[in-house]
Amino acid sequence: MPFVGEILKHRSVSIVGLAKNAGKTECLNYIIKRLPLDYFSVAVTSIGIDGETTDQVTGTAKPEITVREGMFFATSEKHFRQKRPLSELYDVGEEDTALGRIVTAKALQEGKVLLSGPSSAVALKRWMRSLKDFGIDLILVDGALSRLSTASPAVSEAMVLSTGAAYSANIRELVGKTAFVVELIRLPLYVGGEPSVRVSSFSSLDAATLKGRRVVEVEGALTDRLLQLAKNALDEDGLELVVGDFTKVFCSQELYRAFVRRGGQISVRMKSELLAVCVNPKAPNGIVLDSDLLCRELSEKIGLPVYDIVKNDYEI
Amino acid sequence: MKFREIVDSPCGIRYLFDGLELQSGYARKVLLDREMMTDASQIDAAYARLRTYADLVLADRRRVEDMRFRLQGLRDISGTLASLADGATLDEIEFFEIKHMAILAESLAMGEQMDAVIGILDPDGLKIGTFYLYDSYSVELRRLRDAVEQDPDDSQLQEDLANEEDRLKKAISDMLRPYAASLRKTLRDMAELDISLAMAVQMQVEGLTIPSSGCETDIIGMFHPGVRAALKAKGRDFQRVDFSFRRGVPATVIGANMGGKTVALKTLCMIQYLWQFGFGLPVASAVMTPFDDIRFCIGDEQDEKTGLSSFAAEMQRIDQAIAVVETGIRVLLLVDEPARTTNPVEGTALVAALLERLSGKPELALVMTTHYTVEHAGVCWRVLGLVPGTKGRTMDYRLVQTTSHEVPHEALNIARELGIDARWIDLADTIMKQQYE
Repeated sequence: MPFVGEILKHRSVSIVGLAKNAGKTECLNYIIKRLPLDYFSVAVTSIGIDGETTDQVTGTAKPEITVREGMFFATSEKHFRQKRPLSELYDVGEEDTALGRIVTAKALQEGKVLLSGPSSAVALKRWMRSLKDFGIDLILVDGALSRLSTASPAVSEAMVLSTGAAYSANIRELVGKTAFVVELIRLPLYVGGEPSVRVSSFSSLDAATLKGRRVVEVEGALTDRLLQLAKNALDEDGLELVVGDFTKVFCSQELYRAFVRRGGQISVRMKSELLAVCVNPKAPNGIVLDSDLLCRELSEKIGLPVYDIVKNDYEI
Repeated sequence: MKFREIVDSPCGIRYLFDGLELQSGYARKVLLDREMMTDASQIDAAYARLRTYADLVLADRRRVEDMRFRLQGLRDISGTLASLADGATLDEIEFFEIKHMAILAESLAMGEQMDAVIGILDPDGLKIGTFYLYDSYSVELRRLRDAVEQDPDDSQLQEDLANEEDRLKKAISDMLRPYAASLRKTLRDMAELDISLAMAVQMQVEGLTIPSSGCETDIIGMFHPGVRAALKAKGRDFQRVDFSFRRGVPATVIGANMGGKTVALKTLCMIQYLWQFGFGLPVASAVMTPFDDIRFCIGDEQDEKTGLSSFAAEMQRIDQAIAVVETGIRVLLLVDEPARTTNPVEGTALVAALLERLSGKPELALVMTTHYTVEHAGVCWRVLGLVPGTKGRTMDYRLVQTTSHEVPHEALNIARELGIDARWIDLADTIMKQQYE
């Protein structure tokens, strides 16, 4: 039962897919199936719309989230009314989303649910805080496509990354792209004093502002534009850019590598713990990659175990 | 007029609204939708309630905080209660909302028949705020649930279960329906409690007071909370000011630049709104009188956004106010330096004419600041201005009644104090003396 024990050491874990159909939902169901609920209280939700029966983009079949008896879950009013096992209502939130308010309930029997939780990282945090009276030990968050913010350490303590053929159909490219995300997740924590300069990617900046600086705090997103300026301002003494966390880095791999090669460094204020990487070798267009080769190559590259949980169907 | 229509008035009332620590979003909505009170007895009754809570804040802060903590659970379920009253069959989410609200009301000792409502939604007597269609609602429900659990793929059983659940939802809705009116009143009362407690706490935090009502307005020691906070941040104090006015007697306020005329006018406007919406007032004491309409004519940045010149926007604003005054209702009209952006010849004429145009209106209370010397039959107030012997360093912002309507000539002294180009100001001094000679 790989990595479930690691999950239990944390209060909140997000499961993040690098692309649609990257196997995130299977990964979440895999985890849920193996949680020791007899002595562990768990709540699950997703950020935004998820858990659809068919993928809204590609039309391929998508497994639903199966909640077990005693588990808490949060979903929209619309999806709560649509499908769920017998559930006891614990809370109806105030915030209205396109699918209604967020309903928090406890499953009284096992069954499938359509998860469509809080629509933003801020709303998600608020919901997580609202659970404090329900005695929850672990919160699982299903992070939707392009919502890497769910994985921000400001929201959840740890994460499981889900990647696969849907992200790239070429093993070498898939390994390279996934390894880059893993590298960003593992960016080191900043340990120096208070940086003398704070910059934003969206303010008017030129290389002169950064010239001669050793440490620069980046407010919000670190974009290619800012990283390019930082690269141009680099001298032999180096330059360290400090960002909030890895989800704030929106840079191309090429530029990042060039910056690091020239002596630049990026560090973070808050660090996520990556617990595991799961792969789905099947893409919606029918391409199936060699699962063993993919797991092996990716594992070697990132130095972490990589699992194909569907193929291997690990014991409970 | 609703509170939401004036919350962004240039008088700055938003400062106190933002500072109001409401516990629920629903109370905020109720407050924003509150109609301005125009009847003195209604206002007095509202303040009598507020006084009770203000006393409670002083006497038993712990109890107040306990009530406020509970009110964090207040949700707007007015839609659900309207559906119930209209004869709809509710679902589990709506039953949960009603149960949650009834338990909250009971914990606050509010509402009538809340125990009966809770009894319907808590058949097992668990006294917890969660809900589902409990097995104990019917023997048949329990039997069908067991059967579906044994054979989850039997579609007939599933349909039977769904039908039984629907039957129960209708039955529970019918049982709750007689309490719909009581629930709606209780929901509203809890929002009002949240508002009253927040106002009472704010009174203590900001040093606000409860005034009395009378036929004239007489304010002692007023201050503008937003301006006071800004000054405090700079290590300065806000000098409190007295002022009075009454319907049928126009009042003008003259005085030096930077003498606080506009702030005084904003404060008067804010105080009037606060009173008619039931807030504590930023005054040492006051006698207040109600108006049916309050008009505040002051230039603001909105003028530029609408593409109007400041003069055109001002003229239109005053024009609309004149039309309201003509209807004969009780109007408080506060005008800040009308025609200040035009030449002094026409400006003076416009101000004098406005006073003339609005004379003989027994239901109008007019307060106007101006830099023009205009004679009129009303009351003229003057900012005490620069304190003699302080070389222009200290301003006395107090307002005093004066018989002379001649505006003070202190602009040059203030400009000198501001360190403006000395040759320019000396030259202006010379020209002015020549003109007067």
